[in-house]
Amino acid sequence: MKHLIYIVVFITSFGFAQSGFEKGNVLYQKGQYEQAIQAYESVLDSHQQSAELYFNLGNCYYKLNKVAPAIYNYEKALVLAPEDADITNNLKFAQKLTIDEVKDVPKVGFAKLLRDFTGIYHFNTWALISVVFGLLFLGFFIGYYFSPSTRSKRIFFFGMFVWIVSLLVSLGAAIFEKNHFVNERPAIVFAEVTEVKSEPQKASPATFTLHEGTKVFVLETLGKWKKIQLTDGTEGWIESPAIREVK
Amino acid sequence: MKKYILLLLISFQGLLAQVQFEAKVSRNSLGLNERLRVDFIMNVDGDNFVQPNFEGFRVIAGPSQQISQSWINGRSSFEKIYSYFLLPLQKGNLVIKQAVIEFNGQLYKTAPIRVTVTNPVQQQADPNDPNAPQISADNNIYLVADISKTNPYINEPITVVYKLYFSYNIGITNWRELDKPKYNDFWSQNIDIKQLVAEEGLFKGQRYRFVTLRKTVLYPQKSGRLKIEPLALDIDVQLPTNRRDMFGRVLITEGNKRVSAGTKTITVKPLPEAGKPEGFTGAVGNFDFKVTPSKTNLKNGESLDLVVSVSGKGNLKLFDLPKPVAPNALEMYDAVHKEQVNTGLSGMTGKIADSYTIVPQYKGKYPIKPMQFSYFDLGSGMYKTITSEEILINVLDGPTASQAIDSTNGGNKNKIEKLEQFKFIKLKTELVPLKQQDFFGSLWYYLLLLLPFIALPILVLLRKRKEALDGDVTGNRIRMNNRLAKKYLSEAKKQIQNKELFYVALEKAMHNFLKAKLHIETSEMSKDNIQELLLSRNANSETVTDFIALTENCELARYAPASSTSIQNDFDKAVVIISALEKQI
Repeated sequence: MKHLIYIVVFITSFGFAQSGFEKGNVLYQKGQYEQAIQAYESVLDSHQQSAELYFNLGNCYYKLNKVAPAIYNYEKALVLAPEDADITNNLKFAQKLTIDEVKDVPKVGFAKLLRDFTGIYHFNTWALISVVFGLLFLGFFIGYYFSPSTRSKRIFFFGMFVWIVSLLVSLGAAIFEKNHFVNERPAIVFAEVTEVKSEPQKASPATFTLHEGTKVFVLETLGKWKKIQLTDGTEGWIESPAIREVK
Repeated sequence: MKKYILLLLISFQGLLAQVQFEAKVSRNSLGLNERLRVDFIMNVDGDNFVQPNFEGFRVIAGPSQQISQSWINGRSSFEKIYSYFLLPLQKGNLVIKQAVIEFNGQLYKTAPIRVTVTNPVQQQADPNDPNAPQISADNNIYLVADISKTNPYINEPITVVYKLYFSYNIGITNWRELDKPKYNDFWSQNIDIKQLVAEEGLFKGQRYRFVTLRKTVLYPQKSGRLKIEPLALDIDVQLPTNRRDMFGRVLITEGNKRVSAGTKTITVKPLPEAGKPEGFTGAVGNFDFKVTPSKTNLKNGESLDLVVSVSGKGNLKLFDLPKPVAPNALEMYDAVHKEQVNTGLSGMTGKIADSYTIVPQYKGKYPIKPMQFSYFDLGSGMYKTITSEEILINVLDGPTASQAIDSTNGGNKNKIEKLEQFKFIKLKTELVPLKQQDFFGSLWYYLLLLLPFIALPILVLLRKRKEALDGDVTGNRIRMNNRLAKKYLSEAKKQIQNKELFYVALEKAMHNFLKAKLHIETSEMSKDNIQELLLSRNANSETVTDFIALTENCELARYAPASSTSIQNDFDKAVVIISALEKQI
């Protein structure tokens, strides 16, 4: 009985969240972006999320010309769905509203190649792939162990090695991806104008100023300060309330 | 004798050649209001006369040069004089320094002269002198500086008006400025006075005529006590005398009078720190702030002008206009600054504007952030901030940011380009919990990952075991008989309603049980043999007899009538016996 109640509660809350999303869509279509934002936020309040939800939120903020929240929500959507073309497209639109021009210095070398490869899938997908490889390995071992002819035995034996190597590669990729996911902490500047200092002190001279909507990467945290890096590699300290981390 | 004469001549020659250069003053002690004449006299025609700088004096006339050459009794004398008339400026001991001339390549200098300047001497006019003026110029002419406010704020305009008051019975023919007023730490602007107009006014309770000489608007640039250096004038006055001409008109004497407005001190208040807005650039007054774009919808290649203007009253020329902040995709050029400011007596009024030319580069809409302009309002003594509205610039067509690199080798062909457009919201979604457990790193993941490797040895072991079992023939038989015994026993239970089949099954079950336990074949089965074997295996004799009895009973009961209760009894007995034998053997 108790379980039933839980299930009912879960289903109704889920249904409620879905209806919040749809209500937001209707409001968006009518052009009532403020109310649409509220409807979408109600979904988030019920501890539910999806890439589409963040994407729609980003669209609402974009229509209201709120640069920082728009970019922030698009980035959040991209975390959940990195390959989505629509999100990257609209993110580009939102980035045109930003004031700062930061060059995106492309990374080169082996690390970049490695990251390109591991970045094909999410680390959970890599984990699933590694499990599949493990099962294939087991299947081929069975084939090898029980097959009567020498020829098929040979083929199965060779296959076993192929799968075990693939398994190790995918496992490595999953670990690498996970590390990258944990260490890469993108954040969006929310303050309209903020100064980036060379040292985490109020009195320290400002090295440069950032405007809202600019994407930065958080490297370290010290009290109320965060060390950030821009996409062009320049670093500095910024006050924590000025930015909001995406993950 | 001749020799003496020669000597004398030579000595005279030397006397003649003696260069004399000296300075002479008319008096060594004088009053502050008296004049001094200085002559520099030389007896040769020296060149390059360098006059001393008369420190503490003002030169009122000079230098005048005077040369005289005379022959008296065959002797010539030469004299060259430079003379100056000086007026002392201060009391005390003053020094007239050396003057220098050059003669025949040699420099000659005068000796410095000390002059003592005392208090002004009352120039006692002879009352009987008919030429003496009736009145003194001192009490009839005044120079006054009117300052509109002596404790203004920084950048609050104040005016200084210099007025020359003079009474009806004196005339002014000319005036010269001796000291121009200096306005250090002020921004100043003179207001031109085209024509001096004599007006009438009250001064010290008496009617005077006055002339406004100079009007200046000042904006203090520093807080604290600031001094305005005075204006000093030298005025030629006409004073009436007691004499009259033949027509009975009063004869007039010319006089000279110095007047000074005196140093004025202005205490400038700093602007209050409380409530000072962040973007305050020093504007003080009363302003209106506007940001106007020439257009907001434009095509590719067009430009727009964004005019940031401040109009009103205040220190318009003395502060910076706020700069607009535009997205980087808009190319914004440096501003063109325009000023239309009139400076009147009450301060600057007008308009200043910065005009920015903006050229959009890509299609899209771009916001220009609201701008804030803060000023200090003198009327209320408060800071005021005007915020402009956000301006949205809509670029209708043109390349998008990503297509900007496209080369232009398309020719005249009508290219159908994939237009980049802002994508609509997504209508379907699958919501997931906000905090989702990652599959990677979960217990399930590790189990699934390690499963094949755990399964590997198990598989190998199982196969080994199977092979071993396959090799064991007798063991297999025993197991088979055991299995059969169990099978028949359970069949017997099923057939408990059907007497005949029940007993067949029960018998088979017991036979198979024996086969499994005693490892014997069906051919070897006889009561004696069974009894012997069972007893040899330490089975309880009672159980053995029960067992045999039951087997016999089975054969009998098959053909004899038996009640359902006896069938049930037999089954229970069989179960008890088999389990007992199982334990015993």
